[in-house]
Amino acid sequence: MTQTPTSLVESTHHASDMSVRSDLTAAHAHVWEKLAAPGTWWNGSERLAVAEVVRTALDDPNPIPPWDSASNSGRLPNDSVISPELQDAVYRLAVHAGTLTEEWYQKMRDATGVTPQQWVEIIEVTISVASVLRFAQIAGIERPDFPEVLEGRPTGQPQPSKPAKHHWVPVVHLEDVTPELAPYYDGLTALAPVLRALSSVPAAMDTLATLGNAQYIPMREMIDLNWTRGTLSRRQIELVAGRLSAHRECFY
Amino acid sequence: MMLRASSAANDLTLDLDVVRGDLQDSDAIQHAPELAALVDASINDWESLPSARAALVEATDEATMLDAAAVVANFEMMTRIADGTGTSHPADRIESMSDMFDSMGLTEFVSARL
Repeated sequence: MTQTPTSLVESTHHASDMSVRSDLTAAHAHVWEKLAAPGTWWNGSERLAVAEVVRTALDDPNPIPPWDSASNSGRLPNDSVISPELQDAVYRLAVHAGTLTEEWYQKMRDATGVTPQQWVEIIEVTISVASVLRFAQIAGIERPDFPEVLEGRPTGQPQPSKPAKHHWVPVVHLEDVTPELAPYYDGLTALAPVLRALSSVPAAMDTLATLGNAQYIPMREMIDLNWTRGTLSRRQIELVAGRLSAHRECFY
Repeated sequence: MMLRASSAANDLTLDLDVVRGDLQDSDAIQHAPELAALVDASINDWESLPSARAALVEATDEATMLDAAAVVANFEMMTRIADGTGTSHPADRIESMSDMFDSMGLTEFVSARL
């Protein structure tokens, strides 16, 4: 019998002899349920094709330089449902995100034809795979396989996103909140730019919030500079966060 | 940066070199060397991950190691969101943190969208 996306994650977490927090297992299961299912702008096959590029890139012990083409290197499938140009963009996002520039973004959009919202959804797939697989690798537990594709059409649900001052992609501003974004916007007078970055695709906001709440700090606890789960102190959390970000050469 | 803010909130002075440099035990951040070693191994040296993981468990406990792994995973996410969407800081925030950016060499990053 085919395993469900949730059972793929649960079986790997439970197979380890460690006690992974149940809310963390649930968060990873939630994004695995969405991984190969129809999204907002991509279908399940296309989302899985993006996920496969991300996994290949993350596993690459000797990644190709950012200026080279991964699709020409023989590392990626040549029968993918996504174009070689998009495979290249996904590979670079997965392993060389710190090298991306606005000029690259515009050229990538010209070469691939993706809309900003489609790019945001590609980022969503990328962060789902990076979160689940990197956690397993670092914790020393088995990695879950990818789920099977769920057939169906993308929802195509638009949002009132507008050009943004602090992003290449358009975002939904706080004053334009929609019912889909209310869980992330309601009651807030400001929201850090990085937390608004995916707002043109609410399903991507759901992924960000679900993973962030379980892996880092619940969004609404962020202002408590002494927040802890009883394991890492807030300063220890921020040391890990800052050091990882510095390794990735992420200025933000 | 939240590390500076969370230290200041507790009247602790923190050398921000902890983010990029070699680490010693400090009162401000317990088990900083073991935490940093796990992060470093996850990026640069996958073969040393088991020993880094074991050292952190020995210094703390299994639940703490798992939570540290989860934070690493989270910032594998956040760095790709920020750099994939071209997210930048508001001007007032950049100004307030410019001393830190300069001293840590962060403005040399390609991703420094100033």
